[in-house]
Amino acid sequence: MTGVLKAVLLPFQLWNDVVLKIGRGIAVVAIALMVLAILIQVFFRYVLNNALPWPDEAARFCMLWLTGVIAPTAFRRRGFVAIDMLIEALPRRAGALLSLLLLFVSAAVLAIAVEIGWGEVTGFGGQFDTASLWVPASLDFSEWMRVPRSWMMASLLVGVVLLFIVNIELILRALITILGGADDLRPMPLGEEEIMAE
Amino acid sequence: MLIWFLPLFLFFLIIGLPVFFGLLAAPGILLWMAGQERDITLLYRNVYNGMDSFPLMAIPFFMLAGELMNKGGITIRLVEFSQALMGHLRGGLAHVNVLSSILFAGLSGSAVADTSALGSMLIPAMEKQGYTRRFAAAITAASSVIGPIIPPSGIMIIYAYVMGESVAALFLAGIVPGVLVGIGLMVMVRLLADRYDLPKAERIVQKEQTISGAEFWSSFLLLRLNLAGVLLMIANGFGASETVPGWMVFAVMLALAHGLLIWMRRQVSHDFRIVCKRAVVPLQTPILILGGILIGIFTPTEAAAVAVAYAILVAFFILRTMTLADLPGVLQRAALTSAVVLLLVGAAMAFKTVVSLSYAPQILAEFILSLSENPLTLLFLINILLFIVGMFLDAGPAIIILGPILGPIFVDLGVHPVHFAIIMSVNLTVGLATPPMGLVLFVASSVSGEKVETISKAILPFLAIEVFVIFLITYVPAISMTIPRLTGFVN
Repeated sequence: MTGVLKAVLLPFQLWNDVVLKIGRGIAVVAIALMVLAILIQVFFRYVLNNALPWPDEAARFCMLWLTGVIAPTAFRRRGFVAIDMLIEALPRRAGALLSLLLLFVSAAVLAIAVEIGWGEVTGFGGQFDTASLWVPASLDFSEWMRVPRSWMMASLLVGVVLLFIVNIELILRALITILGGADDLRPMPLGEEEIMAE
Repeated sequence: MLIWFLPLFLFFLIIGLPVFFGLLAAPGILLWMAGQERDITLLYRNVYNGMDSFPLMAIPFFMLAGELMNKGGITIRLVEFSQALMGHLRGGLAHVNVLSSILFAGLSGSAVADTSALGSMLIPAMEKQGYTRRFAAAITAASSVIGPIIPPSGIMIIYAYVMGESVAALFLAGIVPGVLVGIGLMVMVRLLADRYDLPKAERIVQKEQTISGAEFWSSFLLLRLNLAGVLLMIANGFGASETVPGWMVFAVMLALAHGLLIWMRRQVSHDFRIVCKRAVVPLQTPILILGGILIGIFTPTEAAAVAVAYAILVAFFILRTMTLADLPGVLQRAALTSAVVLLLVGAAMAFKTVVSLSYAPQILAEFILSLSENPLTLLFLINILLFIVGMFLDAGPAIIILGPILGPIFVDLGVHPVHFAIIMSVNLTVGLATPPMGLVLFVASSVSGEKVETISKAILPFLAIEVFVIFLITYVPAISMTIPRLTGFVN
């Protein structure tokens, strides 16, 4: 049984290894662009006395995407705040069962979020354009189009989809642990990063 | 029906569901059971709209600035500076630990970063001087809670956003309480120093230090400009600019500041001067942030972005302690931490909508008022509640959950919203160092190699003084409200 589960786990593990690494790369670029946008805003407003319309929205665009693409890494590294006192106090098997149950709850939340998110991005709200963001619509930069709001809204959808895939990996790992195959599992890739929001 | 979301949420929380999912699952399930599936879409929308905010951007920026400063080698400069000022006292390094935390708090809003950065440097140094490891770890953990109280502070930004308060007002209101916690801890160190005969330390550890040209001239200029700025404000108070052009007054003040500093340099040793000079550049950060906000040049978010730019300038060009290869790692750490907080804040905004729809604050208010009608008694009780919550939950999530429920009740009772924000923030921040689930206790344990249980016992005298300060802040509103009132950020 654990052999089958391990075979199913492999593609999810590989997906999360590769895609979340790309996500971390995008997040690094996004946070750098956010800083740049706001500094441009400060410079133009206070030095040149000319308030630009786009930096605020561009920085928010980057922040939303940053959250969407890197939050799954935090979830995978158990960086989401939780009180795990009960799980640790319970006998090992009971604790693992409780963890599995909790992962099913989070999977349900994420599955519903994916469904709603898709509806939001493709629905009425996503049909509008952003207020001040433009991108070139042709290769020679002769035509420009407004960035659709759906591009911004897609950040949370992508986030919950990636979180859902991480959740499936965590469920499979929890199942393998319960069935006694924990020793064969690859240790979860923990970066040297600590989540230190407080 | 909807009122049951709160017990359900607490149930989820206790059995270990991450707060983010609990905030959405509890109201979601009840809405679904009540046949209000459409409102579940509203929850999703509120998460998105909650994150799509300009003021919230200050969180990733301040985290990034803190990370850059920390990686850029400012910790050693702050510790050396603190030691030059307080090392000669009995219990010197313990005092240095507290003062470093106060200074570090002006650059970073994170208690965890404070514990790991200062702990890894000061705990071994304290052990070498004869302090027990548990005492060194305990004072490091206890003093690190000053980090999120003194601005900049991630917790204050979250509170301000979720509760619709001014970030600037909360930042300013946190200064005196943060310093007060520091002074309280120093008093306790002094008492313990007498009892356990804690040693004094050398004021200057590394003699004959050198300073680079860029750092020398940066601190030379910054010191004079800051001092001239202060003198200018005093002169303007006497109406100097009304009679003479402003630039002329400033030029005179600059010359005066230069003369004053030249006189002061003769009073101290060469080594002391170098240590102080090396601290000027990092310590300019809080002046830049608070000065910019106070003068009205920056919003807190812009001040945070400027702090990042300044940190890059310092780390790459002035101190030259970072290279481009270090940058992606620092950016990634800041992004990772921010994403967790931003998602939580988004979920909190969704949760807040359900809180107001459920009439939970009204029902809870009736219950609380049935206990007593005296606001002073209720504030006492609420502090006890917050302290207990802080023992189990980190400050950020606790503020997100309890702020929308408790805030309106106490504001109705006549407590100023900014005052209540400070009571709540300080109490829950102290909770970061309380057993059994104090986040900084775990960090202090991993930095020192001492068991959490042992540190938990050693920290008790320091926690006692912090609890005393919490009650002082609660019953003397002027402690937190004076600076925001004087600066016009609170009416």
